[in-house]
Amino acid sequence: MSVFRTPNFRGDRAVILHRPDDNIRRLERHLDRLGIESTVVWPDFNMDSTPADLVFFDGDNGYDGLFPWSKGNPPVPLIALISSEAPGRLEWMLSQETSAHLIKPIQSSGVFSTLVIAYANFAKRQEQQTQIRTLENRISNRPVVFRALLLIMECGQLEDEAAFAILRSAAMNNRQSIEEFASRLDHNKAIELVNSFSADKGMA
Amino acid sequence: MRREIPVGLLYSTTGAYNLIGQDCLDGALMALEEVNANPSYDFQLSPKIANPGGNIDEYQRLTEELLRKDHCKQIIGTVTSISRKEVTPIIEKHDGLLWYTAPYEGFECCENIIYTGACPNQHIVPMFEQVIPEFGNKVYLTGTNYVWGWEVNRIARELITSCGGEITGENYLPFHSTDVERMIETIRETRPSFILNNLIDSSSYALYRAFYSAGKTDDFFRPENCPIISCNITECELEEIGYDAAEGHLSISPYFENLNTSENIHFLNKVYKKRSKKRPVSAFFVNGYATAYYLAEAIKEAHTDDIEAIKNGLFNRKFQTPLGETEISSKTHHAALPYYIGRIKSQEGFEILPSRSQAITADPYLVNFDATQFAKNVNNIDLVSTPSHLTPPHLKVVK
Repeated sequence: MSVFRTPNFRGDRAVILHRPDDNIRRLERHLDRLGIESTVVWPDFNMDSTPADLVFFDGDNGYDGLFPWSKGNPPVPLIALISSEAPGRLEWMLSQETSAHLIKPIQSSGVFSTLVIAYANFAKRQEQQTQIRTLENRISNRPVVFRALLLIMECGQLEDEAAFAILRSAAMNNRQSIEEFASRLDHNKAIELVNSFSADKGMA
Repeated sequence: MRREIPVGLLYSTTGAYNLIGQDCLDGALMALEEVNANPSYDFQLSPKIANPGGNIDEYQRLTEELLRKDHCKQIIGTVTSISRKEVTPIIEKHDGLLWYTAPYEGFECCENIIYTGACPNQHIVPMFEQVIPEFGNKVYLTGTNYVWGWEVNRIARELITSCGGEITGENYLPFHSTDVERMIETIRETRPSFILNNLIDSSSYALYRAFYSAGKTDDFFRPENCPIISCNITECELEEIGYDAAEGHLSISPYFENLNTSENIHFLNKVYKKRSKKRPVSAFFVNGYATAYYLAEAIKEAHTDDIEAIKNGLFNRKFQTPLGETEISSKTHHAALPYYIGRIKSQEGFEILPSRSQAITADPYLVNFDATQFAKNVNNIDLVSTPSHLTPPHLKVVK
């Protein structure tokens, strides 16, 4: 594994959703210096025919439906190119889940830091999304866990804490999450569990 | 009467790092004088000298003056990255062109700057490629507390980590501080293979002197055992360091006075006619000279000092300079430069160690840097792809 952490964008592909003009030519020039290949597209953008690792877009003239993905769910980092700071425009850009922005006129200074920030923000958001999905999943499985807990309490005539300890260690032994294990627990298995737990205790 | 074109020369010739500023200025002035005396240039370059005196607050005001009052579209100047960053917005606002001649930490590519000094793939990377196989991969990092030291040391840290080495310590000093004793003690305790010195000015001189003093009682502090290496120490600072203290330590530079090429010998003969042979000629002097020549050549080609035309006249052509053959890239605005590693040999300047003399294309964002290949090179794993100069007979294999 490489331990060289200096940001390097060599080989990345950028799509620039903007009318071609001097700003865009300067941006493309600088992306080229950073090893990024860019394609200018306006307004029809198709990810299949123009694959992208990041997307720049015109924050001043962008509109809903410009992007080939559901609103606010970009699959790659999004960078807004803006000159208008009208609150309505900023609100629209934020609603697209923009990772960073560059102010027009675009200069060579600022592009590198914007890319570093955009990639970091995007990665962080992805990570948070994954965490949120995991947590949501756990919450939605709460009734399942609750049912399993009751089953163990009932089969073994146990207090809630003792029943939960059995459930947790059984899930761990099976290398499953508590939710997963709980969803497969039926009456027979619960009795089996309680018995083997008592046997362990007896041996100890 | 030839038409006159004003050229700003913005260097601190008093105050901190004045030795470097003076050399840059003197080199540029020598080239301007030659151009003005040469009828093949149908213009005169009139130098407008501004001296910020090492005071960071003066740079913006003086740049504004050069651009507005003196009508300079071209400014050759600034040594430190702080001062370059300070003047960049002013230069951009007036659409001027800054010619920056010093080595720097990279990660910049401004449309209004021409970079003629070395960036990391032309200094720290080749320096490490040569020094690590010889001395080992345990490094002590030091620097003055600003972006040059921080960034060059950060790159050094990544290079060292990627080849399995170790950073034995990292310490910074504020500007002008000579409080280097703690560094000496850390070095004594941690016994690195070599020291990377990114201190500047008086702090840097103090380090060499304290190291030298320590060497009188502890052999570890001798350059043959643990050299201090630098990416910006040149001939112009040796006397100030003290020749005895500087002796034996290493520096990387696109130029050393002892360079034995016909271009350099011819150049030095011209310099010695103008000033005492006792004053050494440094890379700062030569790069000031070469840069003023690039400018003159580009104006000659463009027939104007308009900056876009000048860029067209400048890029992607070869220049014969005392540094050897150089070229400035239209893509990065950076010069392709050779590198040499020199060992300080008292008043004689630098003894040039075997190293490659072909110019290396600048890669200011280290886009094409390959950490795996670097590790292979310094760990001597793949001898086939290792340049022969990296395998001297006394090479120690570092595992």
